[in-house]
Amino acid sequence: MPTAFAFTGHTRRIARALVETMVPRWPDFDTDLTDPVLERLERTLDAQPKAVQTLVVAGLWGLEVSGPVFGHGLGRLSAIDRDERDRRLTRIAHHPFPTFRQGILLYQTLVNLCAYSMPEVEAHLGARRREWRKDRQALREVLVQLDEGAKAPQTPAALGSYGHLDPQAFIEFGAAERLRDAANATQTPAPASTDTALDSDGTEPSVEKPKTRKRAATPRRKGP
Amino acid sequence: MTAAATPNIVVPESRGATLRLDCDVVVVGSGAGGATAAATLAEAGLDVICLEEGGYHPTAEYSADIPQMIAKILRNGGATAIMGRSPVPYLEGRCVGGSTVVNGGMCWRTPERVLDTWVNEYRLEALSARRLEPHFEEVERTINARYQDPGSEGPNNDMFKRGADRLGWKLSKNRRNQIHCVGSNDCVTGCPTGAKQSTISTWLPRLYARGGAVYTHCRVEKILQEGGRVVGVAGRIVDLDGERRFVVRSRAVVLAGGAVQTPILMLRNGIQVKSGQVGRNFTIHPNVKMAALFDHPVAVRGAHQAWQCIEFEHEGILMAPGLIPLAFQSVAFNDFGPRLAQRMRDHEHIATGGILVDDHASGRVQVLPFGIPLVRYDVTDEDQRRFIQGAAYLATLYFEAGAREVYTPFHHFPRLRSPDDIRRMKAAAPRVQDTEYFTAHLMGTVRMHGDARQGALSPDGQVWDRPGLYVADAAAMPGTIGVNPQVTIMALARHIALHLGDRLKSRAAA
Repeated sequence: MPTAFAFTGHTRRIARALVETMVPRWPDFDTDLTDPVLERLERTLDAQPKAVQTLVVAGLWGLEVSGPVFGHGLGRLSAIDRDERDRRLTRIAHHPFPTFRQGILLYQTLVNLCAYSMPEVEAHLGARRREWRKDRQALREVLVQLDEGAKAPQTPAALGSYGHLDPQAFIEFGAAERLRDAANATQTPAPASTDTALDSDGTEPSVEKPKTRKRAATPRRKGP
Repeated sequence: MTAAATPNIVVPESRGATLRLDCDVVVVGSGAGGATAAATLAEAGLDVICLEEGGYHPTAEYSADIPQMIAKILRNGGATAIMGRSPVPYLEGRCVGGSTVVNGGMCWRTPERVLDTWVNEYRLEALSARRLEPHFEEVERTINARYQDPGSEGPNNDMFKRGADRLGWKLSKNRRNQIHCVGSNDCVTGCPTGAKQSTISTWLPRLYARGGAVYTHCRVEKILQEGGRVVGVAGRIVDLDGERRFVVRSRAVVLAGGAVQTPILMLRNGIQVKSGQVGRNFTIHPNVKMAALFDHPVAVRGAHQAWQCIEFEHEGILMAPGLIPLAFQSVAFNDFGPRLAQRMRDHEHIATGGILVDDHASGRVQVLPFGIPLVRYDVTDEDQRRFIQGAAYLATLYFEAGAREVYTPFHHFPRLRSPDDIRRMKAAAPRVQDTEYFTAHLMGTVRMHGDARQGALSPDGQVWDRPGLYVADAAAMPGTIGVNPQVTIMALARHIALHLGDRLKSRAAA
């Protein structure tokens, strides 16, 4: 997807070299993440202020020519191999002067956020974040439906799981299906528990009931 | 105009003649303070317009693409930081609902000891625990402040509780503004199930029900003044294709853009009170992240934060678990490339938590020449000592819970392998400059004070010396509170809005 902000010319070469060094790599993961992460990085920067974009570009050029300054050699960052770049960037990341460290921290934060939120990386690490979101959406829908027929509890403790769902099974995939099956089997919504959740000081909180909302009304605006 | 979801959420046309609106009260911002004030004023029978700089993004738009969501709902695409001895990144919502869309949803009342200070030292009788009680109740009822469904907490919270229980440390169970939080672990980029009760689903529907409206993409740049009185605001429609301006004239203006944006707007408009307090007294509840490696899975699924450890509250140290998605977990370690990749293989075994310090420092929000904002805050050595102590407590808790390793925010002490390492870390006394902080609680830059010589706002929230201008967000807080501020902001906003409503109605009657 084209973005308004894009690294161009030699700046792009430097950015690509930096990203190539910082992206995650595993022996059992074949995909080279450099270009997809670079593209996500551009999209991320696109939403950020011009001052930040300028700072990022200036910092890249600073890193490009920083070899002699830090005593890492004369070669430019984009011209040396990946392992050597890794050594240079790691040394700067542990420099005694905090400002230099914070520069690397900025880039590694941007690259890590872009890389570790990619579906293929999440899948490789077994995070299953996207499936988990869908699973949770389904579970919440069932809980809300069940609560519509349930009696309001006498405490402000959350509804739903009381009498509906075994707490041990709450953080499991497929809870919604099991809950739906159980509800279909009984054909009636389970009553809400009168379990009382206590405040930290042991006192019983005040009564709270679920709310109904009014439909929105048309605004009374004077204007076009 | 085009309408999104309800006719009360107005996405203005981005081209054409200046958009001109009139109302009784214009509220700038739709987050915790703005939405509460707007709904309260509308329910008092006033004609209210709420202006929001960001767009309207309901639950259906919250995608799993984290960079995309950050760009959509956070100010500056998440690139916001406070300058100082060590930069402190912070997150600020920029969308309808403001920071209530991206926060963790913790619901704590202002501690009574803090309210006592406000009454006794700041001469704010109206903010006593007794007088705020009905506001707290109304806020908690409206935003559905509840405990988690049993079982939804997840192992990240369970490990924290196990460690605290074994040590006999006092825990407090969090109420959160949620209905059936099912532990999606995506709070910070917008709750994907709609469980979190941001102002989008709580206060703003109350505003709409009384005919009020939210105008999106409206960046307020000018505060209109006539004869020393504030009579409206003006600005530009942003982030859409076009360059249209808007002007809203009103009997009163309520600023609720947060503790950074509100003073910047005031200072850019030359609004400084005689006491010179606008932009001062900036407190941030600095916090640090920690992580711990366990032998069994503890992460990925569950609620963001179900508990807080209040054992050391008297020292100004609060500890809590904080479950975060994989991508945010990856930035908790100061590393990159294959080394980080190797560590992230264990991501399911890594618990995350944090330490919040009730800070004593005071930063400042300034506007430099050409309108350039400068936000500055220096963590003090005293607060740093508490961070080191807090890190020692939290590491002890994690080791007690069975952690193999604990990761700290201190550059020269990134990893602890045993309680002996904790002693070494304390002895090394990491410096402020070698610590990575973070915050989401910005407060106090336009503080209330009963004495006009020491504060920027009167006890009813009006800017001293500036009739018609009110502030109803975290900037109005007289000082730091030591707990998550959402409920305090809403209670203050309600207090301010009720006073303003009474004043405008009595003036109209007269």
